[in-house]
Amino acid sequence: MDLPPKVVSYLQDEFLEEARPFCFLIDGDYRLVDSWGQSDWCGLSGIRPAVDMREPAPFLVGMPISAVQKFEFIEMPGRAIVTMHVIPDNGQCYVVLLDARREHASIQSKQQSVNELRLMHGRQHKLIARQRDLISELVEAKSELDHHRREAERISANKSRFIAMMSHEFRTPLASIINYAELAGESGTSSNEIQKSIETISRSAMHLTSLVEAVLDDASLDAGQVELLEHDFEIVGLLNDMAAMMAPMAAEKGLSFAAYADPDVPKTVYADEVRLRQILINLLGNAVKFTVEGGVKLTATYNDGRLVVTVSDTGPGISIEDQERVFQAFERGRGRAETGAGLGLTITLRLVELMRGEVSLDSMPGEGCTVSVHIPVMAAEEGSTSSVPVLPLPGEETIAAMPLSVLICDDDEDMVTLVEHYLHRSGYGLITSSDSSEAIAKTLKFDPDLVLMDCNVPGVGGVVAARVLREQGYSKPIVALTASKLSDEQKSAFTRFFRKPASMQKLLTEIKRLTH
Amino acid sequence: MTPLTSKVCVVGDFAVGKTSVVERFVTNHFSEEYLSTVGVKIDTKEIDFPTLGMTHKLVIWDVAGTEEFGAREMAYLRGASGYIYVADGTRAATLKAIERLHKQILEAYGAAPGVLLVNKRDLEPDWEVSDERFDAIATRFGNAYRTSAKTGDDVDQAITRLAELIIDNDMRGG
Ligand SMILES: Nc1nc2c(ncn2[C@@H]2O[C@H](COP(=O)(O)OP(=O)(O)OP(=O)(O)O)[C@@H](O)[C@H]2O)c(=O)[nH]1
Ligand SMILES: [Mg+2]
Repeated sequence: MDLPPKVVSYLQDEFLEEARPFCFLIDGDYRLVDSWGQSDWCGLSGIRPAVDMREPAPFLVGMPISAVQKFEFIEMPGRAIVTMHVIPDNGQCYVVLLDARREHASIQSKQQSVNELRLMHGRQHKLIARQRDLISELVEAKSELDHHRREAERISANKSRFIAMMSHEFRTPLASIINYAELAGESGTSSNEIQKSIETISRSAMHLTSLVEAVLDDASLDAGQVELLEHDFEIVGLLNDMAAMMAPMAAEKGLSFAAYADPDVPKTVYADEVRLRQILINLLGNAVKFTVEGGVKLTATYNDGRLVVTVSDTGPGISIEDQERVFQAFERGRGRAETGAGLGLTITLRLVELMRGEVSLDSMPGEGCTVSVHIPVMAAEEGSTSSVPVLPLPGEETIAAMPLSVLICDDDEDMVTLVEHYLHRSGYGLITSSDSSEAIAKTLKFDPDLVLMDCNVPGVGGVVAARVLREQGYSKPIVALTASKLSDEQKSAFTRFFRKPASMQKLLTEIKRLTH
Repeated sequence: MTPLTSKVCVVGDFAVGKTSVVERFVTNHFSEEYLSTVGVKIDTKEIDFPTLGMTHKLVIWDVAGTEEFGAREMAYLRGASGYIYVADGTRAATLKAIERLHKQILEAYGAAPGVLLVNKRDLEPDWEVSDERFDAIATRFGNAYRTSAKTGDDVDQAITRLAELIIDNDMRGG
């Protein structure tokens, strides 16, 4: 049923007032045919028939006029906002523009807030993401700092552990030296015993020297720069040395000491002897130190390319917790400088790892302790070179061909005695002096075949003395033997330069060569 | 000689700077204020091509921003000779929107000349579009610019390029 005419007419009035329709008719070339309604509000007043409507109404450009179309909310260049209806009619086309300003405004304000909200959301997301990044950056920076701090702590712990370790290691050979020196000095000691004491002392001294080298190695142990110094040596010799070093210490405490090598153990092996020695000294030193009653046993066996040395004692043993602590401290590469049983073990673990070996520990509190070290070693061929004797016996090459004289200038009496001893045995005549000025006078007077000069001696000093001698026309070799470091310039005053402690063997060979 | 007149549509996600780019191009002004476009806004601008001896009049339809066209927007696009795609370099998602809109246009009206403007280049610290991403999309659109409606950087160049592309296309199409 139709609406009552009264209502239709009312709505019509209402709509026309609101929409202010403007209608125009164009032909197929967009030229104006006719127009109706108000045109001022949409900026199209004053258009004349035949004008190309695309000029005043550019939105017609490109618009096909063959189909009914509706375009909502077109904002024209003059800011009018229209809804456009296109109604084709027989090759011509009606275009109706309705004022859409009011609806547009209400949609605009809604859309505006929606879009602004979305933009804000986007920005918030970005901020949150950035904050998250910042936080994770902070966390990362913090963990890096923590890492550095832990690293610093570790290094400092390592340092103190290292110092504790070294003093421990030094003490054992030092104790042996002191003990044997005492023994040798006692009246009533047989010459055979004295000879044995001296041998042990020099071996311990050698070991101390090796330790000094090991200290330098150890400094670079963390950096992984340590190399094994492998060479052929006799296992039995090593065990004998250990026995010689440890047995008196054990005896002093009333402990028994036994060393035993399985027949399967190769005579000569290829391995790092110094480190193996360190390992054994550590293990044995600990065993003797902590055992109050009973004894210490050292055994060596050989199995599948692995040398197994076992040190067992009847000491107090190590609790499971302490064992774990020792192994953990080692694994973490840190740990306090533990006192007691743990320390020697930690050292041993480090060294054994270096030698690609393993350590096994079997102990219960109150039931003693057995530590086995398994180290891969190569059995050397029979008859290969073994260790060099510590104290050189005068050999063919060190005996002077004819009576020759050497002047020694050194204020260290022991040193003079030692050198004198060797040179004498090698057939040299000796002139000694403890003062460099006196040495100059003696040299010029007796014209020795060689001058052996300590640098840090009373008088003008070794370097000056050597220069004076040269100026005075002394042309024979002047050899420096000194504990101090010399600059190249200082060295140039001498024919040769030896740093204390020097190998007597080398020194003798060189002296012989120079006086030949 | 009547100048060549072409309808071009500016499309892209909301608030990427479509209205600002057109305003910069037509009146050489810029406003920081955001007034979201509802429906479509018509502007015209003539570009002289002295070397070609011609003037190209662009009737620019600055379409309300959207990430996907609806029926109302599709109606606006009918009869366009070229497209100005605008994205916001500080919002990577608006590049995705461009790809979607481009696809819709292609499906509805076929291939037409177009240029891509990755806008707000002046907001460097906030930039989200990597060079790789830009290069990749630039290759696909053929003509891509990093523009700023605020400073005017490359806005004229981009739109003038589109005007050339349309001339080219017209001449080839007969
Ligand atoms: N810094 C900077 N701001 C810009 C740039 N272009 C546009 N804007 C700002 O971005 C906001 C949106 O710009 P409009 O041009 O309105 O964006 P639109 O794409 O037309 O947005 P809709 O009409 O909603 O689709 C406004 O606040 C502008 O001032 C630009 O190159 N640099
Ligand atoms: Mg806009």
